[in-house]
Amino acid sequence: MKNALKILLIEDDTIEVMKLNRATSSLNMNHQIIEAKNGEVALELLKDHSALPDIILLDLNMPKINGIEFLRILKNDDRLKYIPTIILTTSNNQKDLLECYKIGIAGYVLKPLKYEEYVSKIEKLLAYWRMNELIEA
Amino acid sequence: MNKEEVDILKRALAREKAARKAAEKILEEKSAELYDLTQELQSSNEQLEKLVKEKTSELRGVFENIIDAYVVIDLWGNVLKMNDSAVSLLGYNNEIQDFNLLELADVSEAEHIMNGFHSIKYEGSITDFQVKINTKNRGQRLVHINASLIIDEENNPIAAQGIVRDITQEKAAEKQLIESENRLATLIQNLDSGVLLEDENRTIALTNKKFCELFKIPLNPEELIGQDCTNSAEDSKVLFEEPEAFVDRINSIIEKRELVLGDELVMVNGTVLERDYIPIFEDSTYKGHLWKYKDITLRQKYRQSIEAEREKYSNIIANMNLGLIEVSVDDEILMANNSFLEMSGYSEDELIGQIAHNTFATDDSKKRIVNENLDRKKGLSNSYEIEVYRKDGVLRNWLISGAPNYSLNGEVVGSIGIHLDITNLKNLQRQKETLLKELEKSNDELQEYAHIVSHDLKSPLRSINALVSWIKEDNNGKLDKLSLQNFDHIETTLEKMELLISDVLEYSSIGSNVTAKNDIDLNELVEDLKRILFVPDHISINILNPLPVIKGEKTKLQQLFQNLISNAIKFNDKAHGIIEIDVKEKSSYYQFSISDNGVGIDKQYHDKIFKIFHALNKSKDSTGIGLSIVKKIIDLYKGEIWIESEEGLGTTFHFTLKK
Repeated sequence: MKNALKILLIEDDTIEVMKLNRATSSLNMNHQIIEAKNGEVALELLKDHSALPDIILLDLNMPKINGIEFLRILKNDDRLKYIPTIILTTSNNQKDLLECYKIGIAGYVLKPLKYEEYVSKIEKLLAYWRMNELIEA
Repeated sequence: MNKEEVDILKRALAREKAARKAAEKILEEKSAELYDLTQELQSSNEQLEKLVKEKTSELRGVFENIIDAYVVIDLWGNVLKMNDSAVSLLGYNNEIQDFNLLELADVSEAEHIMNGFHSIKYEGSITDFQVKINTKNRGQRLVHINASLIIDEENNPIAAQGIVRDITQEKAAEKQLIESENRLATLIQNLDSGVLLEDENRTIALTNKKFCELFKIPLNPEELIGQDCTNSAEDSKVLFEEPEAFVDRINSIIEKRELVLGDELVMVNGTVLERDYIPIFEDSTYKGHLWKYKDITLRQKYRQSIEAEREKYSNIIANMNLGLIEVSVDDEILMANNSFLEMSGYSEDELIGQIAHNTFATDDSKKRIVNENLDRKKGLSNSYEIEVYRKDGVLRNWLISGAPNYSLNGEVVGSIGIHLDITNLKNLQRQKETLLKELEKSNDELQEYAHIVSHDLKSPLRSINALVSWIKEDNNGKLDKLSLQNFDHIETTLEKMELLISDVLEYSSIGSNVTAKNDIDLNELVEDLKRILFVPDHISINILNPLPVIKGEKTKLQQLFQNLISNAIKFNDKAHGIIEIDVKEKSSYYQFSISDNGVGIDKQYHDKIFKIFHALNKSKDSTGIGLSIVKKIIDLYKGEIWIESEEGLGTTFHFTLKK
């Protein structure tokens, strides 16, 4: 079991980024959070195969490359396709859900309205992944 | 002797001499006469002898050569003599064995034979005596006998001779002839045509009932026979519409003595007659003529009505708004109506004789027409669409209804095609299809849009909620009670806003993403809902009758029941809330009811509550969209919903779902 996870958060909303940071710190988790404002930035970061994240938290509604497009690129990459990718979104669109599972995801988490609920979900999510054995970078 | 004496003597002698001479002469004459007579007698005797000889041989010849059987019998019927014909007819020969003619007669003829024999004996002969006899070799024959008695010099009867003719066949033929004559007579008598046979003197030889009937002659046909016809035309002319023409025509026909068939005559009473005139010649000698009159009034009427029908349909075909062509089995155009000419842009002359599919059809349509024509030959009809070029080169769509065309013998001789130009219709259809596709696309886009909007609207709410939490957290203990209360209000408002956005999204989603219909057990569905929904302890939900299994989408049916049940829970103000769900099965649908004993709804709002955003009770968990969603789902299932309610007592929602 790892003490801390290396998390790549792909999210364009500043407050959402703040929420994850605040949640992890308030939970006293020592996870390392790498931020990417959009898919392009994320792909750039992922080029460095020596510093790959343990998991990716991915928002769907983003400018430029949207979440699903990013997911497709990821899953077509021989190396990157092994990184567990969890969707973190507001969209409960059945179509999106289906499409994501079809391409291949490790989870689909809806962002709740209440911050407390959000913290609770993130806590469980990260606890779960910390528990998992992952392919080392 | 004196001189005187001598003279006297001399004179006497002279007288004596003269007398002797005269006597001698007379004698001589007489002797010559006698000689002549003898001569005459001799020759006549010779002649007689010759005559007798001739007659005898003639008779022998007759007897021997007579074709009919000749028999001579004694007075007891024993055959004395018979010729060859008799032998071959009767089968017996008296030269071989004696036999009695009477014994040959059939038993049934015994009395008849006795009478015949009696006649011969006492009257000397019989003629035309017919009797059945049993011959030796030829079975029973009917024979005809002429016989006479033979008498000796003292007038005593000694034998009888007779000629026997076999008339068995003759009789049968005669019988047949009579029968056929009778038949013919009956036929003529009862013929449906009036017949009048006149001889060369214009005397009636034969006529029949129908003739008398047609010409209103109050007599039997038999009574007319022998009457003169010279004036009959004149007598009958009043019966006809054009009396003078009638008489003139008859006179001219009779004068010409030529066959005339099918003259039509109109009678005053409206009857139409068809007349045939047949002159009769025997060895090119005029022997009379036959008139035949036939009542063709009915036929004429039929012909007229057929003619009228034909006229009517010709007019319809010519003027109908559908193009009609008649083609041969090789698709050669035989006929085209006005509408077809207009449709195609060709003139009649340009079309007749052309091969239809080569004239109009596009390559694809040509194949279609050729195939269809094969079906026509099999007697099949069909409707199909083809693409054609008009004369001006414009492409049009035609709908053709083709049917085989039959000859009088029932053979397919081609087909008849009715054409409708459906180009405009076709364009509209294409437009409709495009529109439908566009609609589908824009529906999808709208759906997508709704999701994005709802996401974009919800995101700031979440952010605000997070920020408020942080402010509260960061200023823990520093905020006064009122501020904390206001923060709570902000949070409540955010929740309300979130719910509203979710409901709007849900409402807009109904009817867009249609998934396959499955069998849904509503009992199961409601039981599930009872677990999912928050049901306070003082409220009980009862299903009165087992709910049916219906075809539908689970999510929509769930939304339907969820909204109605949660409303019933939400608006219950009683100490013991009771919610009852029931169903009645009708022929083509189920009628459900969900009733509560809650606050009830004022009558004036009964119609309004199904409209969107029309919440009667503004509360934190009511957006006014729930019943609109219910209505929309029921509309989707082609059902109906209505309400029964009294303020303060409760509400019953009735709705129907198709089976």
